[in-house]
Amino acid sequence: MATAPELLPYQRIREDLFRPLSGVSRNYLLATFCAFVIGAAGLVAWSYQLRRGMGVTGLQRPVFWGIYIVDFVFWIGISHAGTLISAILRLTDAAWRKPVTRAAEAITVFALMIGGMFPIIHLGRAWLFFWLLPYPNSRLLWPNFRSPLLWDLTAIVTYLTGSVIYLYLPLIPDMAQLAEHNTTWRRKFYRTLSLGWTGSDREWHALERAMKLMSCIILAVAVSVHTVVAWDFAMAIAPMWHSTIFGPYFVAGAIFSGIAALLVVMAALRKVLHLEAYLTRHHFNNLAKLLLLMSLLWLYFTLAENLTVWYGNEPKEMAVFGARTRAHYAPYFWSTVVLNFVIPFVLLGIRRLRTIRNATIAASCVLAGMWLERFVIVVPTLANPRLPAASGFYGPTWVEIAITAATFAAMAMLYMIFSKLFPIIAVWEFKPHPQEED
Amino acid sequence: MEHRWGMTIDLDRCTGCEACVVACHAENNLPVSNPEQAAQGRTAHWIRIDRYYEGEFPDVKVKYMPVLCQQCDNAPCEPVCPVYATYHNPEGLNVQVYNRCVGTFYCANNCPYTVRYFNWFAPEWPEPLQLQHNPDVAVRMSGVMEKCTFCIQRIKRGKEDAAQEGRRLADGEVQPACVQSCPAEAMVFGDLNDPESKVSRLAQSGRATRLLEELGTKPKVIYLQKVK
Amino acid sequence: MYLIGEFREKDAVRAAIRMLRETGVRPSELDLFSEEPVEFPRGVLDRPSRMSLVSVLGAMAFGSLATAFIYWTQHNYRLVTGGMPLFSFWATGVITFEMTMLGAIVATFALFLWESGLVRKRDYSAPVPEVDPGAICLRVRCRAEDAPQAIAAIRRAGGHQR
Repeated sequence: MATAPELLPYQRIREDLFRPLSGVSRNYLLATFCAFVIGAAGLVAWSYQLRRGMGVTGLQRPVFWGIYIVDFVFWIGISHAGTLISAILRLTDAAWRKPVTRAAEAITVFALMIGGMFPIIHLGRAWLFFWLLPYPNSRLLWPNFRSPLLWDLTAIVTYLTGSVIYLYLPLIPDMAQLAEHNTTWRRKFYRTLSLGWTGSDREWHALERAMKLMSCIILAVAVSVHTVVAWDFAMAIAPMWHSTIFGPYFVAGAIFSGIAALLVVMAALRKVLHLEAYLTRHHFNNLAKLLLLMSLLWLYFTLAENLTVWYGNEPKEMAVFGARTRAHYAPYFWSTVVLNFVIPFVLLGIRRLRTIRNATIAASCVLAGMWLERFVIVVPTLANPRLPAASGFYGPTWVEIAITAATFAAMAMLYMIFSKLFPIIAVWEFKPHPQEED
Repeated sequence: MEHRWGMTIDLDRCTGCEACVVACHAENNLPVSNPEQAAQGRTAHWIRIDRYYEGEFPDVKVKYMPVLCQQCDNAPCEPVCPVYATYHNPEGLNVQVYNRCVGTFYCANNCPYTVRYFNWFAPEWPEPLQLQHNPDVAVRMSGVMEKCTFCIQRIKRGKEDAAQEGRRLADGEVQPACVQSCPAEAMVFGDLNDPESKVSRLAQSGRATRLLEELGTKPKVIYLQKVK
Repeated sequence: MYLIGEFREKDAVRAAIRMLRETGVRPSELDLFSEEPVEFPRGVLDRPSRMSLVSVLGAMAFGSLATAFIYWTQHNYRLVTGGMPLFSFWATGVITFEMTMLGAIVATFALFLWESGLVRKRDYSAPVPEVDPGAICLRVRCRAEDAPQAIAAIRRAGGHQR
């Protein structure tokens, strides 16, 4: 087993974790450029959609929500990475979370920012999105707070605010350190952002107290956010959407995809930033076990939902169920079962197979599987409405695909910029306390 | 007393001729569609004829059902619009405010009758059809949801004329375009709050049914059919 | 005047604090500086905090304000939707909850900024020691006549004076 990082001298730890912040390698520039190009393509696609109209997408009556909404739910789901790792593990004082928390919290913030764009992108008149905000206007109009979309808005705003603060707070001591180790514009940048942190015990106490409170709060918010997103569907009376299981189902799915995203990101960081001594097999093992647990939970929820619909045999719901499991959408549905359950079960359940590489493969499969799962939830229901004469179908166009790809590029880019500005592992949390038993 | 507009459609009289569809297009400035758009599911017919086939060849029976916005009293489309672009007016109509719509599509997803239509592009008419627009009805822009309004412009015009003459609207004086154009006289429109109106009397008939009644949407379009 | 003592061990700092407090130095005149948080049992160097209370108060304030606002707007712009009442507590429940949480978040952050002293007016005459990794610095504010006593306490506990 590699030397546990706690045994490395302080200097070495700080050097290792600060090193990525200085200088850019050729690979980094290449990756940034590719992300930029894909992102630009997405922007071009979006501006085309804004000018021509929503007709450039594959949407049609009765499928009025397509992969933009799938992407929305997917990204908000990914954002639950940080919450689980940071909040729950912080609250249970699990030591293995230490090198992982900041990476997870960064995923949360960026995924929320990206996911929050989709409610705007999917609008028919997107330039008027601000009408959903309550502001005094000359027409004396207010938004309709009964609508689940307004609940979405408040939930995401709250979660984003909370996550940004949750990411920022533990960054302060590291930024204060970085201010001392840097010159020129960086020094000023870090000093301003660290608010003049001196490392006094008052500051530490306030920070720890705030983090403890925030952990509880952010956990409650995270559960509510994805429940509210689920209720966008569950509050509608469309067949197989109007199900009470959607709230817990989506939260479990979000945590599932969040852990998968975290695993993938961590594997990438470990490789690219040479953090093998810090992100060890132990961490991946724990995350892999969590991923396996969530996979089983996902299977349970999926089974519960589909079994009850099938047994109930209600005609409108069976039309959707048939479309999902036997007819047009069957390949997607069964793929999700394979990607979300079978592959993770084999690769993570068998101890000998649970390597870092296999865990990453399983996590990537889960990400693809969860995206497909959201697709299988959104589209078949809409394509099979209560009046069968109005049935339809849906296939995304290049516009939607370009924008979806651009969001992945945006995530990569935001992450790369973040890892160049801030240490991806919290240096202050990592150093052993003098004489402190861990 | 306030009006409460309702409609009955006699399915035993409907021949499926689609004159109502054409009349609605003409009255409400609906865009013309082409075969590609029809294949893409992008046509907008505020009233459409759904065809249902019963039986096997050669004993096939076809049932025609004109489906339009049911103007539900418990409309599922209304609470989910985040900007109040659709709400219930005091005369019982489910009103769509084009200016307010930002295009979230939630109302269309929640409508169990799938009677809401979206403007995917800016509407176009092949020459010279753009000259026959009805000046009483707005032309909607791209990105806005629309649906049958029970020809609210005709209702408004009728009420204004009656008010000018100092009288109440008579039964049958206001007719939406579809009702007016039906050659089989299968559709009747009127005030459900007036117990003497034709529509109220037909609504009491033994053949009166409502579409998807079990959902509790309380639709105000009553279908008359012999229930076997 | 200010005295700074440097220690390598947590127990030494604890001993120094105890000795200094015995000579009459108050906790508000003591400050520790370190590169990671130093934990002491209760009673050694307590910093009383109101964060939890303010957080809860902020949460309740935001939550009730938001609900009242929605009640007012839904009566101000009276539109009937879906045959439902103008204002329904449960339909607003989600927003009430989220705004309550937002209040808690904002209040917690605000109290953090306040209680840590980061946004308060600083005493720039107080020296801030550069702390070596692994070291803990103790800064004592005392009168000039009490300085020798404080220095002696620091030395006896095992630290050295900067």
